[in-house]
Amino acid sequence: MQPARQCGFSRTWKGSFRGWLVDTILVFVETKGDAAKKASLELLSEGRKLEQAGRFRMEAVVLGPLPAGLKDRLLSLTETLVHIDDPLLEAYTPEGYAFALAGYAGEAGPKMILAGATQMGRDFMPRVAVLLGCGIVSDVTAAAWEGDPVTFVRPVYGGKVLTEVSCNGFPVIVTTRPNAFGISEEGSRTGNLVERQAGVTADQVHTRIQRADAKPKGKVDLTEADIIVSGGRGLKAAENFRLIEELADAIGGTVGATRSVVDAGWRDQEDQVGKSGKTVSPKLYIAVGISGAIHHIMGMDTSKVVLAVNKDPNAIIFQYANYGIVGDLFEVVPAMTAELKKR
Amino acid sequence: MDFALTEEQEFFKKMITDAVDRMIVPKAPEIDRKDEFPWELWREFGKLGYLGLRYPEEIGGMNADPVTAMIFYEQVSRGSVGFAQSVIMNVLMGTYFIYRFGSEAMKERCLYPAMRGEKVATMCFTEDQSGSDLSATRTTAVKDGSDWVINGTKMWITNGPIADMATVLATTDRSLGAKGLNFFLVEKGTPGFAPGQVLEKMGCRGTVTGELVFDNVRVPGENLLGTEINKGVDYLGEILDEVRVMTGAMALGISQAAFDEGLEYARKRVAFGKPIGSYQLIRAKFADMASEMEASRLMVYYAAWRIKEKLSSRKEAAMAKMFATETCLKVVDEVTRIWGANGFAQEYNPQRHFRDARFLLYGGGTHEILKDFLGRLIIGKT
Amino acid sequence: MNVVVLAKQVPDAESSIEIKGDGERLEIQQKFATSLFDEFALEEALRIRERHGGRVKVITLGAGKATEVLRTGIAMGADETLLLDHAAFLDGDGYATALALSRAVSKAPCDVVLCGKQAVDDDRGEVGPMVAQFLGLPHVGGVVKLDIAEGKASAESLAEAGREVVEVSLPAVFTVQKGLNEPRVAPITGVMKAMKAQIPKAAPEDLGLDPAEVGRAGSKVQVKRYLAPKKRPPVQIIGGEANDAAREAVRILADVERLI
Repeated sequence: MQPARQCGFSRTWKGSFRGWLVDTILVFVETKGDAAKKASLELLSEGRKLEQAGRFRMEAVVLGPLPAGLKDRLLSLTETLVHIDDPLLEAYTPEGYAFALAGYAGEAGPKMILAGATQMGRDFMPRVAVLLGCGIVSDVTAAAWEGDPVTFVRPVYGGKVLTEVSCNGFPVIVTTRPNAFGISEEGSRTGNLVERQAGVTADQVHTRIQRADAKPKGKVDLTEADIIVSGGRGLKAAENFRLIEELADAIGGTVGATRSVVDAGWRDQEDQVGKSGKTVSPKLYIAVGISGAIHHIMGMDTSKVVLAVNKDPNAIIFQYANYGIVGDLFEVVPAMTAELKKR
Repeated sequence: MDFALTEEQEFFKKMITDAVDRMIVPKAPEIDRKDEFPWELWREFGKLGYLGLRYPEEIGGMNADPVTAMIFYEQVSRGSVGFAQSVIMNVLMGTYFIYRFGSEAMKERCLYPAMRGEKVATMCFTEDQSGSDLSATRTTAVKDGSDWVINGTKMWITNGPIADMATVLATTDRSLGAKGLNFFLVEKGTPGFAPGQVLEKMGCRGTVTGELVFDNVRVPGENLLGTEINKGVDYLGEILDEVRVMTGAMALGISQAAFDEGLEYARKRVAFGKPIGSYQLIRAKFADMASEMEASRLMVYYAAWRIKEKLSSRKEAAMAKMFATETCLKVVDEVTRIWGANGFAQEYNPQRHFRDARFLLYGGGTHEILKDFLGRLIIGKT
Repeated sequence: MNVVVLAKQVPDAESSIEIKGDGERLEIQQKFATSLFDEFALEEALRIRERHGGRVKVITLGAGKATEVLRTGIAMGADETLLLDHAAFLDGDGYATALALSRAVSKAPCDVVLCGKQAVDDDRGEVGPMVAQFLGLPHVGGVVKLDIAEGKASAESLAEAGREVVEVSLPAVFTVQKGLNEPRVAPITGVMKAMKAQIPKAAPEDLGLDPAEVGRAGSKVQVKRYLAPKKRPPVQIIGGEANDAAREAVRILADVERLI
């Protein structure tokens, strides 16, 4: 095993932000078919704000295939869109994407490289950090961009504690949690497209996708969902999850589940919200028949608004909810679904 | 004075605690509810090899000293008393005399399988008319050629009705009282040896406790477990203290299980707008429970340490057993009070701990007997 | 098939954590456990050995009770361990920690490196991919099923888009998550072996590293402060009969909170 070929690119110059030379930030835009992932759009929005403040110039970077429709959309959101393509980037591989992005960063010399802390972002950005010999701050939920150095907030201990961190050296790689930032960019830019070849060679990529089972179309992933309706043991049986699905349909939400329900085989691991499942940050989280065990709370406590439905008035979930209904979920949930359909 | 467990013992504790939490705790309510012997769990747990922990490594055991053994007894009891009783019977009383005095062939047939959880062992003292008073034992063993013929009925035998092997206390001469007692090995399948009535118990449900009937049971001479005849009570003395301290350790386990339930409830149950743990009377309960459990813990482990160091331990063992038991009875009572009406519901655990704890009053010696014994020891001959 | 497991000792899930000194430091109750996802890694390593033979080595970076992680590994069946507890290694960010661990891994040839997808204390999830990059190896993240063969492996992860099966050449690094397996309970023979085991250690020099490259000294990311998460206001209970409460809840979510 040889040490990795490093780009050896690591600026230690702590340049002044007030210099005439405006620093660059790269925003990695993760694509899913012909759409950009939510977290990437959030970052383009943040990047735009920083540009307007005169701090940085932003370049959006797409690796691999770039459908025409998406290209146009992105060109309306950024001054510069860098499209790095290569047959070896056709499908995502951690090695391929890391080499490609690090290679471009070595050339562009950005101060920061931003990406969504999605599964993909958290998977390959650490490799980029090693290639560039720089620091990475993962899964950030807030940032004080105007600071010098920039400080970030990231949760630890499952969210029980928040840490304020800073990173020295350049570039600084940051992955941000979906739903951490708002999307305010209207899309009124007219950006330039820059095409690049990645220069990734076959001997640098050792993974190959054998099979990908796509989820049914239209299903928003829990980590990106704005609304989640989650069910726990209070549902008593797998069939009763039908009530959750109906409410989720009516309200436009994604279905989530607790660990005990997943362990009982009623739902798949993909649906699990919690410490050993997914961490979610929706605008609305409806917890049905969930007692509120701490490992579940850790997965959803950053939700903006929480509504809990439980027959036990002492259920811990009520301590982590904005609104609560103490009642029989088998009556309350269908009633909510019916009410939503009426509106 | 070094009160700490060694790093090795700490690690052992961590491992057995983890095993109990994962394998036994989730099944405990069901074991109690069904009151059926959990064969699947028994086999699974047996495979881990803990049942042989008191015996030498060379024969597949762990050579665990009494202190380490107490850690085991405590944790398993914390998980499920209904399961623990059966386990502990195999670990110590049901197998000790076979280990101590049995022939190699006997060990192959009985001891090693029991250590692996492949066979169930038991020890039989109690009879209808004799519990504390061993000298009143009526089960007889009569020499016939080189064999012994055993007659009698034993009661309240843990694992009795499902036992593959029984270490039976029988007298060769009733007129000798305690000085006529001996241990005999009787294996399942021996003609005349049969399980009798199974007793339905208030607590420790899951363990099968019942009658064992010995009707002209003939066993070979080597089944007399002992190098000398009529030395049963002396041999019993080798493990008596450990059995008492062990009961104390079981009391600690039950106390801890109940205490933890009480703590969780006090932190989350809200009354008058605050968790009930905010109120002084509830806090006082926890202060008292924790203090007495602390004292019990120190006594149990101290007595175990004395046994380990081969210091005299009869007094300390009796005291530890009594104190830990009385503490446990208080703790399970207080916890059901803290739980209020919910403490009365079969759905939750506090009522199970409350029922389970009662057996501690009889196992390892009743307190009436122990107090009389201790008092006599302290005051001296009068 | 030689497998190396990178495992971390973390505070127990029930340990109380308090922010002290105006955010300067954390006071954590001293009860420890193996990081949840690392348990799956350990179990998988043992299963790979059961199927393919070879040896399982567990490496941990940490002080104090970190040896328990290694002893737990031995109790479950691991063949070797290595402890990096030198003060210079401690308190590192992902980069500094991964650098140290990758050097420790490279001390002996191996086919598979397994670790949890993230440690449940720092929740960074950086070390796995970074160790892979330092070693010049491919990696697959978030694995829930792993089939090892000669020279290659097939790994299934839960991608956001659904399940994905990836083929990768060995040696490779795999970060694992829940769903991969059910960790075994250690048998007493393992516990006994673990209790007596001698734990070998390595200092920075043994790994060809300068103390300034690892741990806190070698870190680029620093924690400046600890903060408490925002507390939610006390819950508002929506009263009334089921139907009324349901209607009121929808009204609040739609008209007051404007979420739907």
